[in-house]
Parts: sequence; structure tokens; C-alpha cells
Amino acid sequence: MTASMTSRQRVLAALKREPVDRTPLCNPTSVATVELMDLVNAPFPEANRNPELMARLAATGYTELGFDTIMPVFTIIQESSALGCKIQWEQKDNWPTVRMNEPIWREPDDIKVPADLCTHPDTTCVTEAIKILRKEYGDEVAIVGKTMGPWSQGYHCFGVEPFLLMSLDDPGKTKLCLDRMKEITIQFGQAQIDAGADALCLPDHATGDLVSGEYYQRYLRDMHIEFAERLSVPIILHICGRTVDRMEYIAQTGMAAFHFDSKNAPQESMDIVKDRISLVGNINNPETLFSKGPEAVNTEVTRNLEAGVQLVGPECAIPLQTSIENLKEISRTVRTWHRDQASN
Amino acid sequence: MAELKDIANEFIRDEIEEFIERPDEIERIINLFVNASERMQDISAALIDGNHETVNELTSQALTDNIEASEVMDNGLIAGMAIVGIKFRENFIFVPEVLACARAMKAGMAHIEPILSASGIEPVGVAVMGTVKGDLHDIGKNLCIMMLRGAGFVVHDLGVDTSEDQFIDAIEEHDVHLIGMSALLTTTMPNMGKTIEAFIDADLRDDVKIMVGGAPVTQEFADDMGADGYGKDALDCVSKAKELLAERAAEA
Repeated sequence: MTASMTSRQRVLAALKREPVDRTPLCNPTSVATVELMDLVNAPFPEANRNPELMARLAATGYTELGFDTIMPVFTIIQESSALGCKIQWEQKDNWPTVRMNEPIWREPDDIKVPADLCTHPDTTCVTEAIKILRKEYGDEVAIVGKTMGPWSQGYHCFGVEPFLLMSLDDPGKTKLCLDRMKEITIQFGQAQIDAGADALCLPDHATGDLVSGEYYQRYLRDMHIEFAERLSVPIILHICGRTVDRMEYIAQTGMAAFHFDSKNAPQESMDIVKDRISLVGNINNPETLFSKGPEAVNTEVTRNLEAGVQLVGPECAIPLQTSIENLKEISRTVRTWHRDQASN
Repeated sequence: MAELKDIANEFIRDEIEEFIERPDEIERIINLFVNASERMQDISAALIDGNHETVNELTSQALTDNIEASEVMDNGLIAGMAIVGIKFRENFIFVPEVLACARAMKAGMAHIEPILSASGIEPVGVAVMGTVKGDLHDIGKNLCIMMLRGAGFVVHDLGVDTSEDQFIDAIEEHDVHLIGMSALLTTTMPNMGKTIEAFIDADLRDDVKIMVGGAPVTQEFADDMGADGYGKDALDCVSKAKELLAERAAEA
């Protein structure tokens, strides 16, 4: 085991399932909170549209909470905005969202990747923030970008209900749509790599709460293999909800890691994926991080560490009202656990 | 005692045999269908199969032939949804398949609702439903509303991104005592708690029963927030709604 790795080295090693000096704390989605916004004067919604504010708020994940990653892309809608979706940017205490009830596409031929996808203000904001963070933190910490997968993009651009009904009524048309939308994922992902991202989170919400594991295999597995091949940094796939029925397929994609939800037990999940993909997770957000105290956080973090989960962090983007104290407990528990292990 | 073979429709017999495992549910579903005419069973079968065009045709034809709207709704559409609900709960089908069945139910209800409204039948209950502030997801909420309406409730749909004030205004406007709140995102779930607090602040909490639901919502979370009930899915939502109204009546 290498002693005294930097945060960046630790994260990149864990994503390759190589030895680390301790389990890295990873945040592939968002740990932005209202408290952190106040602390550095970088509130929503401005912190989602202004690169300096975005970088400043994102850095708190490392400087204040003790994570080994910095993730500046708090939302899942930056590229949707560039595609022309109607966005509700909300206020400081609410997440921006796409107005999915006002879809912009209905048919495969409607899908057009705009020439300014990666130069639109809401995507440039991300790439500029990554550049700021890379300049400020050098090789000290892992900077993780985010590019949405085509299934999630389908929800945003076609509307959730029409897109899911299309997947049942016309699988051929659905596959054509996904194939066309995958270029959005590649282009925005590549732009973030060019800006200096060390890894990319790729949310693609084929969640067990909505679709079957067979759906994942039919529509997305091969496309995810392609993303892992075409994007040159480690990819962290994120899918919410119960996903054990598709982890076998996910483990076949060649992606570096899978960011998994607390609905999946750490040990059960590790047993399925074995050493084919790293797992990132899976501290429960609503019941533990948001509603309970540090003791409950400690219990969940320990469960992940004991199962051998390679990177520890919240299961998904955390509620904005989550307390800093609970978030700091993730870091404290990981460090204490490793110290105890070393002394035993 | 009725048996599976007493059900005329082969598709429904196969569905029960393949997807329903609990003995009490098998018995309940068999009893539901043996009492339904073959025409109603055909409507149920088309609904379970997600075939909205056939449901539309069969429902329209049944009403033209003077079959009671309530019979078509209860023995055709709702009976079919009972099997759909079980298949969804047990993960035999997922949301796309349920949406197709809901589309079929909607096609049938489009013929039935105007007749029922004109008949002046007293509703089972009245409810206000909405997705909470900051959340624009409505599939689950819409399925719940459809099932509640199918079960005889009048539901005022507040849509998505519903603020605390909108919920409060709606119960005052419609004189309603049952609220359903939905959230799909872990980031917006806390807004359910905020809404409940708003009812406390407005001194209205004791006037209403509040039920919550949504994919990431759990009984524990519902209890922590101070909700009166939690529905795991759209079927559960109907029984919870009836339970809460009965509780309220007992308290009155």
C-alpha cells in the first residue's frame, strides 16, 4: 500500500481497484448545501450559472467536508439547458429542474445536437469551473465532471411518460433516439475532459423504480460500453434506486465505477460486481444524512467500509438542507476506521 | 368456493396462475372475476395487456349496449388494474408497462366518467393531490389519482411543483380533509415535511389527514415528517386514503 497519497491519487487508484492508503471519500453527484452556500457566499441558482461561484461552492466538498473529490456540476440539467429545454432555475433552497411536461422533442428526427452545445453559457459554466479548480488545486484533488446519459436526456427532452411509453411501444425508435442522443453525452463529457476533469460521473436513470434490469441490458449496456471506450477518463455510472438486478450487466460495461443507492446492501452489491467495477456509495440521503445524526452516518459508512466498497460517499445528490456536521461525519468515520484497522 | 377454472377468459386465468402467489390474493382475484361477465373479463384482459385501443372499443360498445357504467368500471377496468397493481408490486412489470395499462384505463374512463358525473352519485371521498415544491415528476401521482378516481374519489389535482400555500389554499377552497403529497427526488422529499409544518403554522394540521408517497419515500421517512399515512404504490394509496378518511370520521 502506498503511504500518504494525495486525494487525487487515492481516487484514481480506487477507480482502478488498485491499492490505496485509505478508502477515498468520493462525491460523484453533489454535496452542495445551503450552509455551504452561505459559508462561501455562492448561492443557488447563481452557483449553477456562474463559473467562479460554481468552483467556489464545489471546492467546499474538499476544503470543508474532507472529500477527496471536487464535483462542480451540482445539477443534472446543464446540457439540457443548452439543448433548449425549459429550465426552472429555482432559488437558493431548491434544485433547478427541467420542465419535463413541456418536452422539446417527439420523434428521432427532432433530435438535433446544437452547434453551441459546449459553448452555451450553461455548459461553458461547467468547463470554466473545472479549469478554475484545476488551476487552483493542481494535482492535489480529483476533479469529477458530469455528463448525462441518453436515457436521462430522454426524460428531459421527450418527457418521462412519453419516453417510457415509447420504449414499450416502439423499441426500434427508442434505440434510434438513444443512439442520436449519445453524441450529447460524448461531446459534453469530452469538453470537460479537455477542461481538466479527472473522471466523469455519467448519470443515466434507468432506475429499478422505473424500468427492469432487462431494459438496462436491452437499451443501455452496449451504449455504456461505448462510453467507457470513447471517453478517455474513468467513468462513474450513476443510477438511483434498487439496481442489484442490473449490476451484473453494469459490471460488464468496462466503466470504472458504479455509484449505487442505499436501496442496495453494500455486501450484496460487492458480491455481484466482484472486482470488475468499483463501487461508490451508498450513504442514505433522506433518512440518514438529512434526518438523523452522526451516529447513524457512522453506522452506514462503516457498513460500506466493512463490505470493501472502494469509494465512500452519499448515495446521490444530497438535500440542500443537510447538515454539515453529518457530512463531516463521513470523513471522520473513514479516517477513524482506517486508523483502527491499522492499529489492530 | 370459486376456482380458477371458473373464470372464462383464458388470458386472465394465465395471468393469475403466473403472477399471483399469495393464497389470499389468489382467492380475492378469482372471486373478483368469476362474478364478472365475459365481456367485462375481455375489457380487463385488454387493460392488463396495455391495449388501449381495444379497451376503448370494448368499453364504448358495452355502454352502447346499456351495460351500467359502474359495472364496466368495477368489473372491467378496476378489476384489471387489481392484477396490474400486484404485478407491479412484485416487480413482474415496471413503470412503462403500468403506464400502458393506465393509458388503457384512461381510454375506458373517458367514456365512463361523464356518465358517473351526471348520475350524481356521492363520492367515496374527496382529496387534494400534488407533487411537492421543486419536483416536476408526476407519473406516480397521476397513477394514484387515476386509481383513486377509479375507486370513487373526487380528486383535485394540483399538478407538480406545488407550494405549501397552494396545498393550504386548495383544502380551504374545496373544503377537503385529505391531502396526498408526492416526491420522486431525495432532494425534494424534505419539502413534504415543510408542507406539513406549514399546516401546523396555519393551525390547520388537525383538520386534515396527510398521506405521502413516491419512489424514495419510506414509512420511516413519512413517520419522521409527521405524515398520517404512507402509500407504497397506487393501489396502496387507495386503501390508505380510505383508512385515513375512516379514521377522521371516527375522530369527528
